Amino acid sequence: MRRYETIFIITPDSSDDELKTIYEKFQGVVTGRKGQILAYEEQGKKKLAYDIKRHGKGHYVLMDYLGPSDIVAEVERNLRLDERILAYITVKLADKVDPESLKAKAAEPRRTVKEEDAGEEAPPFVAGERGSGEEAGQG
Amino acid sequence: MATKRRRRAFPRRKVCRFCADSALTIEYKDPKLLKYFITERGKIIPRRISGNCARHQREITLAVKRARQIALMPYTSTLPH
Repeated sequence: MRRYETIFIITPDSSDDELKTIYEKFQGVVTGRKGQILAYEEQGKKKLAYDIKRHGKGHYVLMDYLGPSDIVAEVERNLRLDERILAYITVKLADKVDPESLKAKAAEPRRTVKEEDAGEEAPPFVAGERGSGEEAGQG
Repeated sequence: MATKRRRRAFPRRKVCRFCADSALTIEYKDPKLLKYFITERGKIIPRRISGNCARHQREITLAVKRARQIALMPYTSTLPH
């Protein structure tokens, strides 16, 4: 079984009921293909970096799941068809995962940069970036 | 004009941030980290400026591109003139 992670964005004007329906739908898709959902995390509304379908915010969901290799195509097919879903991405996390040992580890928190750490080293700004005329012979 | 020698030493000879601290992971889900590696326009900062090693630069690039797909990072943002 492989471990995948799919993030998708649901249109922000869906009701809680709809969110629940979507949850159940994807649970069904995964278990129906002999998969297993490890985590289904609704991350809530976030501001989008760019507008999608004229929405400025979206409801983000992270789904961590195990399954055979053909499961992704099915999950993505369902994401594509559902009009309430604005965008998605699937990443493979691991091959050959043993489901039992995974339950023990659960979801490992991965350390990422905290705000204080990040403050130490701001990158140098690339000079000459303003407007046009970028890198006009400055290397 | 004959060839001019551009003797501009890029200061970032330092060690790659991620090599130095092995606990830092690069995640496409983490715009707080990634935003330090893009310009104001949203472009990915080249390695000779960011100081990353080849491997981590590739990981950053991949992470930024993925984050762009789910609107966690912009593809482009306009600068005021």
